[in-house]
Amino acid sequence: MKASRRTIIRMALAAVALGVAPQVRATGSGEITSDEVMRHWYRLVLELVRHTPTYSPPVASRAFAYLGVTAFEAVASGSNRLQSLAGQLNGLTPLPQREAGTLYDDARVVDSAMAFAAKSFFSNTGPTGQRALKAMAARMREKSASGLPSDVLARSEAHGLAIGQHILAWSLDDGGAVVENMGFPLEYTLTEGPEHWVPTSLVAQQQLPLLPNWARNRTFATPDGAACGLPNPPAYSEDMASDFYREALEVYTAVNDITADQRIIARFWSDDPMLSPTPPGHWISIALHVLARDKHDAEKTADVLARLGITLADAFIGCWDAKFKFDLVRPLTYIHRVIDPKWEAPLNTPPFPEYPSGHSTQSGAAAVVLAHMFGENFAFEDATHAADGLPPRSFASFWDAAEEAGISRLYGGIHFRSAIERGLDQGRCIGAYANALKTRR
Amino acid sequence: MQARYFGLALMVACLAGATPLGAANMPAPLPIFHEETATAGVGSVYAGDWQYMVGGGLATFDCSGDGYPDMLLPGGEVPAKFYRNISKQGGDLHFAEEQSGLEIDKLTGAYPLDIDSDGIVDLVLLRVGENVVMRGLGGCRFERANETWGFWGGDGWSTALAATFERGADWPTIAIGNYVNRYEEMYPWGTCTDNRLHRPAGTEERRFAAPLSLKPSFCPLSMLFTDWNRSGTPSLRISNDREYYKGGQEQLWHVEAGQPPRIYTADEGWKNLRIWGMGIASYDLDFDGYPEYFLTSMADNKLQSLTERPADGKPKPGYADIAFARGVTAHRPYIGGEVQPSTAWHTQFEDVNNDGLVDLFIAKGNVAEMPDFALKDPNNLLVQGPDGKFAEVGDTAGVASMATARGAALADLNLDGLVDLVVVNRWQTAQLWRNASTTTGRWIQFALAQKPVNRAAIGAWIEVRRGETVMRREITLGGGHAGGQAGWHHFGLGDTTTADVRVIWPDGTEGDWESLEGNNFYVLERGTPAKIWTPR
Repeated sequence: MKASRRTIIRMALAAVALGVAPQVRATGSGEITSDEVMRHWYRLVLELVRHTPTYSPPVASRAFAYLGVTAFEAVASGSNRLQSLAGQLNGLTPLPQREAGTLYDDARVVDSAMAFAAKSFFSNTGPTGQRALKAMAARMREKSASGLPSDVLARSEAHGLAIGQHILAWSLDDGGAVVENMGFPLEYTLTEGPEHWVPTSLVAQQQLPLLPNWARNRTFATPDGAACGLPNPPAYSEDMASDFYREALEVYTAVNDITADQRIIARFWSDDPMLSPTPPGHWISIALHVLARDKHDAEKTADVLARLGITLADAFIGCWDAKFKFDLVRPLTYIHRVIDPKWEAPLNTPPFPEYPSGHSTQSGAAAVVLAHMFGENFAFEDATHAADGLPPRSFASFWDAAEEAGISRLYGGIHFRSAIERGLDQGRCIGAYANALKTRR
Repeated sequence: MQARYFGLALMVACLAGATPLGAANMPAPLPIFHEETATAGVGSVYAGDWQYMVGGGLATFDCSGDGYPDMLLPGGEVPAKFYRNISKQGGDLHFAEEQSGLEIDKLTGAYPLDIDSDGIVDLVLLRVGENVVMRGLGGCRFERANETWGFWGGDGWSTALAATFERGADWPTIAIGNYVNRYEEMYPWGTCTDNRLHRPAGTEERRFAAPLSLKPSFCPLSMLFTDWNRSGTPSLRISNDREYYKGGQEQLWHVEAGQPPRIYTADEGWKNLRIWGMGIASYDLDFDGYPEYFLTSMADNKLQSLTERPADGKPKPGYADIAFARGVTAHRPYIGGEVQPSTAWHTQFEDVNNDGLVDLFIAKGNVAEMPDFALKDPNNLLVQGPDGKFAEVGDTAGVASMATARGAALADLNLDGLVDLVVVNRWQTAQLWRNASTTTGRWIQFALAQKPVNRAAIGAWIEVRRGETVMRREITLGGGHAGGQAGWHHFGLGDTTTADVRVIWPDGTEGDWESLEGNNFYVLERGTPAKIWTPR
């Protein structure tokens, strides 16, 4: 027989009065749990990422990191098993603590923190997103506040809000808080030389590269953006015997001879901004699917979402560090110049330098973290794009998916092989930092 | 003192294959507009919250019979307002608000169309809720005709319309675009509701059949029946808002008489394009007989031109984006100091300086305080130069309003040969500008007439020949952003005094070329010589 939420609270109040328990976990019948609260908010956030134009993949990864840390700290503040990330993440100071000997409702704390974080990190979403945020906040509050005594409700909401505010304050000076013109600079001097990036788009805004200073942002778990540096890409050459030419010819040939399955793979991992939850959102979607499918509790859910968000954000900072260090030309430009001026790539070439592949770096990092959390040979199905008409794909492991994400960029005609392979390497390095975080006491 | 010409930027050599009509090295005359909002007698606001963040299209049409365009301005959540045009030829703009029967709330847009071919314009009102067809009674009075004409108004959030008369039909076919499911509060994305195709019930019935669903539907904000390949049968071009669809893209539909509508596929050459589609303008910019299409969006706008024009005259629907090359990306405010990108809505090609080269107007305005996009977002007026490139003159011409624009219409409101401007603004009063340009070329305007059906000859092409170049205008009803126009079709003539003119009627019949003197209005009635028309 299940105890009602009020019964649980009465029992907890009695326990507190006896000095037995400092907190209460309210999970009565018909109520919402903290892990459900997190998953509901993340489902909405995946939509907001897609529908907030400034949320290019790097910007999206930043939001996922702060949301993940917010969720984690909200859960950790009421857990004897979780250890705060304060002092482990760059610049994160100790968070507000729960008042000893008083009652809190975990779900209400988490929802209060998540509602504030979602509203803050998506303050620039459009009217439909704002409307959805309000509706979600109202619905989650209705579910999580039901039956709570007014003092517990007020205390829980205040604590969740305090955590959210602490994380937001921490985020403001990381270098990525203000993004103008959708991340495209108004001034930027392109580096001369055939080996360097030049615009590939006819969109006026994209004549300068996206977020050229993103690598200067404060990282989360890695020391800085250069922590996982990469070897040089193959030396630029138009000599048909050169490695560079061979890699370009591989892209050219792969696209020209693309199979139906390869085309599907290219589309599946395309993850275009404003038309998908972006590459980091794709990996968040995978994690949410696994967390829900296997009914993981709030602590595991928060741990996964925090580590994954952190490594995705670090991956984009590290990747952007390398991209603007090497500033390499895209396959489209080289192939038009050297091989075939009429060649077309299946995917739109992103408006920033080529090496390494961003999707590869962040997929490698995500796979390393998820394998750490769920296991090396963890099979799963990825239905991220089902609503867009792309059938789910099955993978034998997270690394299997990361490698497919990487090679999809070659099928799509937007990356050379070196950028993919070294990108995965870089992700593996970055992911290890997130895995080294201590989240359990 | 304002410069009369906007400089050397346009004094460059002609593009290969494009022949300017003005003297090759003459700069385009700078248009001048005077805002007359305060004195014109118009005080209409497009009001409302979330469900009115799109729409705001106005209709211009002559319901009084005096040749001057009257107007219906949508009010969003409050009733629309009808304005009778009481301007004098060449004078300031003046309108009188009157009760017409069109004062209906929840309007997002309006299109004028003589549905029953009685020679009196009717209107189709797009709404949040039931759409309504309004039968013109004459004297600018209208009555609801949904029941009489079998028009199913539905209960959608309608945001786009296109109309045509299919071959052999005596009743129009109307496509209506519907937006998201407005009742879905938390997850409206991916809930695009069905677009509808209202076709004639039959040759004897003179009413609409039950509408067909155009599946898949992807939340359009503009639709246009257009004969893109000059096959003689218009197709339905739909510009969709990627904000709300999932798995969607821009669309082109085969709509052939007696056949179910069928979408163009990649195998037929249709290329996947996904934008925040908000408005369509079309014009044959390069004088090759095929229209170019300007598509408004956010942070970027597209100008599409056929990639191939095969000798067999059967092009595939593949388009190259030439917006960047032609200077019409209009992606960021050009004044005001904001660095965030622009949001574009209604768009229209018209020759505002009568130099024989159409220019481009774009209504701009933030969706609703979206900080990622410019809040002060001036309208664009891009004037075409002899080289086919466009240059921004919105500020110097006087139309760079920072109000939050939506719908618009460029029409000669005072019948002086110069195209004037009306813009509907969200939360603010609509604005009117009189074209007061003094250094312009000559002009010529036409009203088409045929019997017994499709009296305004929707689907016809007007051709105006000057020297080796033929200017062409397809007569359409649709496109823009949620609003359309019926009335005079305007051409600038540059310094030409007389132009050769003919009409290719909707059934493909080619009228005779006639030599007509500029600076005149003509009624081109099928089978009869052109007749000069003189305003009061």
